[in-house]
Amino acid sequence: MTLRRTLTIAALLTPGLGLILVMVGSVFYIAVAQSFGYYNLSGDSAFSLDHWRDVLGSKQFGRSLGYSAYIAIISALGSIAIAYPLAIWMRKPFRGSLVVGSLLKAPLFVPGLVAAFLFLNVVAYHGVLNQFLMWTGLTDAPIRFQNDRNGFGVIFLQLWKNMPLALLLLTGAVQGISDEVVDAARDLGAGPLARFRKVIAPLTVQAMQAALIIIFIGAAGDFAFQVTAGPTNVQSMAQYMVFLKTSFGRWNQAAVVGVSLMGLALVGALGLAGLARLTLRGLKW
Amino acid sequence: MASLAAKGISKVFEDGFQALTDIDLVVEPGEFVTLLGPSGCGKTTLLKTLAGFYDATTGTIEIGGTDVTAAPPEKRDTAMCFQSYALFPHLTVAENIDFGPRQAGVPKAERRDRLEGLLRQVDLEAHRDKLPNRLSGGQQQRVALARALAMRPAVVLFDEPLSNLDAKLREQVRREIRALQKEIGFTAIYVTHDQSEALAMSDRVVVMQGGRIDQVGRPEEIYARPETAFVADFIGAANLVPFEDMGGGRVKTPLGDLRAAVPPAGNATFICWRPEDVELVEAGAASENVIRGVVRDRAYQGAHTELHVATGDADLGLQRLHVAGAAPAEGAEVAFRLGADQIRFVRGALT
Ligand SMILES: Nc1ncnc2c1ncn2[C@@H]1O[C@H](COP(=O)(O)OP(=O)(O)O)[C@@H](O)[C@H]1O
Ligand SMILES: [Mg+2]
Repeated sequence: MTLRRTLTIAALLTPGLGLILVMVGSVFYIAVAQSFGYYNLSGDSAFSLDHWRDVLGSKQFGRSLGYSAYIAIISALGSIAIAYPLAIWMRKPFRGSLVVGSLLKAPLFVPGLVAAFLFLNVVAYHGVLNQFLMWTGLTDAPIRFQNDRNGFGVIFLQLWKNMPLALLLLTGAVQGISDEVVDAARDLGAGPLARFRKVIAPLTVQAMQAALIIIFIGAAGDFAFQVTAGPTNVQSMAQYMVFLKTSFGRWNQAAVVGVSLMGLALVGALGLAGLARLTLRGLKW
Repeated sequence: MASLAAKGISKVFEDGFQALTDIDLVVEPGEFVTLLGPSGCGKTTLLKTLAGFYDATTGTIEIGGTDVTAAPPEKRDTAMCFQSYALFPHLTVAENIDFGPRQAGVPKAERRDRLEGLLRQVDLEAHRDKLPNRLSGGQQQRVALARALAMRPAVVLFDEPLSNLDAKLREQVRREIRALQKEIGFTAIYVTHDQSEALAMSDRVVVMQGGRIDQVGRPEEIYARPETAFVADFIGAANLVPFEDMGGGRVKTPLGDLRAAVPPAGNATFICWRPEDVELVEAGAASENVIRGVVRDRAYQGAHTELHVATGDADLGLQRLHVAGAAPAEGAEVAFRLGADQIRFVRGALT
């Protein structure tokens, strides 16, 4: 490509791409700058590593980072694990498959916070689930499900909300594999598991990676589910960031957490995607 | 190599459509049998039933004397060559060919020998590390073939494997398939809707129509002694004329009274003769089985000239004649003779 052509294309892209880059870039820039002491809202603006030192040195930060990573990894992998069998099951249309498909995708249309409150109603101390368990006689007293320490409530909500997205991506990819290719694998002696490992998974790895990345990033930055249904002894990164800002007015420290969260999103998403590909290569045979 | 026997196979799909009715077919070890018939007659359905992709609604299938009616495809000693080739797009040529043996847990050394041997046999050694989408149609076809053969299957099932190739390549690959079959030795069931392919390749041809078998026989038998109007019409060109039996081989037809060497069976519906079976005679010749008409259309074909001749009965349509050497012009009056032993009787209706 000649320079002229390259420049022409760049110029044509500017109105759309340029705007996006400026918007995203400026936010990113301010967050990074703020974390190093600039744009200080409550004192002198000057370069400083103090905020990073303070935040990284705090025990709470480490716990938040670990917790958010844990929620994000389990949510991303769990969504894929549930979505794959469903996508394969719905590969070929059958009576009622349209209805089943729509029902499975319905959570995409329910706002997360609404879902979280519905969930609370079910698992609350005097909620539907406990009432039911006591009615059946399985338990004598209500059990504390709400805000459980392992974050299972949050993971459940993440899966509920994100699995449909993974399903959407994987269904398209799985349907793109021709019947004859799958039949050929069968004919050559591959049972259901071997067909998945050696044919279906490798041919849909890009959709799988896209789903992992999108879900990981979303779940790592979760605020709403964590605040409503999450454990009370640990904060998610987003929650911690807001906490630093609102409770103490520590904008610069909040910015440090924000930048770290972006870092987590990037590293985790790429890590998961890379892992998916490596695993498949290992599993090829 | 193994025999294959299908007995009383019928197939009704979930939507209630009956695609196969009462199929009986025995294929000997090492035999090359083609399933021939028009599109939609159930060839693929039969092949997929034999491979195990479809459950037969009734009937049994035996391979090498073992009943495999209930076995899934992965457990049957068959290998299929798909019409679309169905190569694994993410695997190289070598990996595609090695897929089956690896899956079956064949020892490494043996796998390598098979792979090298097959790559040589299908002439793809130079392309072993390419992905399928980098190959031409003919090469992809050969990979599909090698992949199926790598399983050392008792029976290889081909579903119109050449239909995506151009005419010249088709002829070449079809010779290669036949040569490989003789060299390696496998039982082959080969689906095609191309009658010349079927006649050229097969030990026996199975002609199918509407989910049933019409006739089974060696290519020469099928061509020379079609039993039904459908077979006569579908294989090669044939003139089919209704008749009235006068006894002793004498028949009354719209072409005139004719005498056949062999008298018709009770259920015969048409007399049938091939365009090349006629002999032009002098206009005045007074002899048995001479038919007169006017040339309506004439097409020079190189080895022969095809004439479409209108005879006395206008409703009958034009008769097709192949004439070697000098042929009469359009509009000329002609007389031609049918040998008594060239007149055959067929049953069934014209479709
Ligand atoms: N899965 C199916 N369900 C219902 N009908 C089918 C199915 N597959 C094929 N058929 C019908 O069965 C008939 C035979 O199809 P097929 O075996 O593919 O024909 P061929 O291979 O001879 O062209 C066709 O009329 C086709 O529409
Ligand atoms: Mg077919």
